[in-house]
Amino acid sequence: MRPPIEDYGLLGDTRTAALVDSDGSVDWLCIPRFDGLPVFGRLVGGAAAGSFRLGPRHPAEVVARGYRPDTATLETTWRTDTGRLTLTEAMVAEVAGQLLPATMLVRRLSAPDGPVDAVITFDPRLGERRRAPRAEHRGEVLVCIWGTLAVALRTTPTATVQPGQPTAVTVTPHQPFTCVMSVAHREPLVYLDTDTAWDALQGDEARWQAWCRDIDDAIPYREAVVRSLLTLRLLTYSPSGAPVAAPTTSLPEVLGGVRNWDYRFAWPRDASIGIDAFLGVGKHDEARAFMAWLLSATRLDRPRIPVLLTLHGKHPRPERELAGWPGYADSPPVRSGNAAAGQHQLDGYGWVLDAAWRMGQAGYPLYAETWRTMAGFADRVADRWREPDAGIWEVRSDTVHHVHSKLMAWLALDRALSIAAHHRMSARRTRRWRAERAALREDIEQRGFDERRGTYTRSYGSSDTDAALLVLPQLEFHPADSARVRGTIDAVTSELGAGSPLLYRYPPGRDGLPGIEGAFLPCSFWLVQALARSGRVTEAGTLFRDLLALAGSLGLYAEEMDPATRHHLGNYPQALTHAALVQAAIALRAAGTGQAVDPRGAAPIVEGAP
Amino acid sequence: MDWAGWAVFGLLATALLTGLMIAAQLSGLSRLDLPLILGTVITPDPDRARAAGSLIHLLVGQGFALGYAATFALLGQATWWLGGLLGVLHGAVALTVLVPMLVGVHPRMASERAGPASTSVLEPPGLLALNYGTQTPLVTFAAHLAYGMSLGLLLGAR
Repeated sequence: MRPPIEDYGLLGDTRTAALVDSDGSVDWLCIPRFDGLPVFGRLVGGAAAGSFRLGPRHPAEVVARGYRPDTATLETTWRTDTGRLTLTEAMVAEVAGQLLPATMLVRRLSAPDGPVDAVITFDPRLGERRRAPRAEHRGEVLVCIWGTLAVALRTTPTATVQPGQPTAVTVTPHQPFTCVMSVAHREPLVYLDTDTAWDALQGDEARWQAWCRDIDDAIPYREAVVRSLLTLRLLTYSPSGAPVAAPTTSLPEVLGGVRNWDYRFAWPRDASIGIDAFLGVGKHDEARAFMAWLLSATRLDRPRIPVLLTLHGKHPRPERELAGWPGYADSPPVRSGNAAAGQHQLDGYGWVLDAAWRMGQAGYPLYAETWRTMAGFADRVADRWREPDAGIWEVRSDTVHHVHSKLMAWLALDRALSIAAHHRMSARRTRRWRAERAALREDIEQRGFDERRGTYTRSYGSSDTDAALLVLPQLEFHPADSARVRGTIDAVTSELGAGSPLLYRYPPGRDGLPGIEGAFLPCSFWLVQALARSGRVTEAGTLFRDLLALAGSLGLYAEEMDPATRHHLGNYPQALTHAALVQAAIALRAAGTGQAVDPRGAAPIVEGAP
Repeated sequence: MDWAGWAVFGLLATALLTGLMIAAQLSGLSRLDLPLILGTVITPDPDRARAAGSLIHLLVGQGFALGYAATFALLGQATWWLGGLLGVLHGAVALTVLVPMLVGVHPRMASERAGPASTSVLEPPGLLALNYGTQTPLVTFAAHLAYGMSLGLLLGAR
């Protein structure tokens, strides 16, 4: 049985990422990119899929675990019979301009109290077939080879490691045990000594700390927000700027169910939400990079916005199931690819045009080409909003008229008209957008609102509600304190509540799939935003604190949570959840909350609206 | 050496190559946009970059046409098939040497090794420029084939 999902820590270099549990086992790492082949896949592929453990030789209690402040370096300390043993580990992100491997994982064991017995088990396996490497020792370096892909492991002091075999080592106060794993893909290996690797790790730490210093000091619950922003940045593929939804595939949304999806792709919607989150805390370079990715990646499909794309803006390969992979906690299937790519989702246009508008508000007027692209998206909305769509939740049954999608379509046209005021645009085109926007409003208000219950509904004619409607106060479709907005927030809270502060995204089981998924964490953060924007600031603050208390011990969130056990579910860590957390904090800042204490024990944080 | 032919037909062939690449972009085959890539060496504004990049591309194309004209002169013949062979070689060099080399010299192009400090927002081309779409190598070969064949045909006709 694998540990709970939230037990895993994220190590990343902004090109790929590893997940490591509190036993010191790296159970997930795809190389050379987030969407590459897994070289350690035990998380969902069973023991035969490979792992890399470094930790105490005998079972030991974890007495401390956390990221070094404002860095991506993880520390885990165990108490053993002979003293404490600490594992410090990170991937090195900044390798440009130096003769360093593009992918390197640095891990160091130290024992401050006295000699401690430890063990290293290095068992890389590649891809779906979990192929063992051709392994050879070249001097002090173990080299594992699969064709043009090679992985090297070097340790100090030198240990003769055999793939798949545990090797005992003794860590002393004067001699930490350091190992560096480096990857070469279609290029020569860089044999790196462990001192150089450790220096690179420390250099990275200093850069992350500097990166974090730029984050707005006035943001409430800054520690949690910083960890979320760091996670978002670690999940951004630096070569193209693509925001990866999560570094994993097929972590189940219900244990033993079939709701296992591959999230190692980039959703334009997530990029747009990320733009808002990064702009809101003063990280403008990251926001601009997301916009650049949006423009570049959607180029071949314009004026259509694809639901999701690969890291380099291609369409993903067809979805399939990996043969013989048991899945996390025996929850198959494990999928590669994502069939949602072929869906029509109208809401994406609203998110993207809203992001473009926000860029303009932040002082980055659109280039003429960018505006032409956005105008093309607005035309597409004007052409197609009357058609049903798959909606934000990517339900794989029939398309329907989702009210949230129509609202986002309205937003797309509204934002296009706002941007058009500052750009050249034909009067005929803006007249059309205006007319379609008005028609959309009439359609939504007449067909998407349940007068009896006083709430917008999940789809036209439906009696269900939808937590995606919590974005309503952000849209300026109605005043944020209007009866319709209040009624919708209250209906979502009462009908989709999964035990405060959790919400289901739609009534459980209404998606054509067997089983009932967990509560959807981004929706709870959207509720914080909705409450804050509609003047219910105290409720918003309380809810936010409750949600922070639900984070894993490392401050990370998956996509969903089991309302009964409060264990995290679904792919992990999830960029959308962390972006929603940041947006919620920004909404609280705008609403002017008071003093707050981080529920995970951080020092009181001075808050106040700027 | 046919200098007048080189001057006129080099321009025509480059215009043809550029037109084919743009047609490939418009038809959704490739995101390889040479005028944009070349022009963003000078400016980040895509529209200005395309204008500058188109001019740079015409000059570069004219330079390559000089090599074609010199080869034809050395071999004593200019035919469409000889031009086509040179075009295939040219396309291969462009994909395997010239475009990947941009990563090292282009101020606004990220590399596959880019990290958090990178502010370069232009995506790297990757192996055979495949990052710009799986059809990119085919499109590039086809465009260079057309470039070489048109040069061979036109210079041979004089």
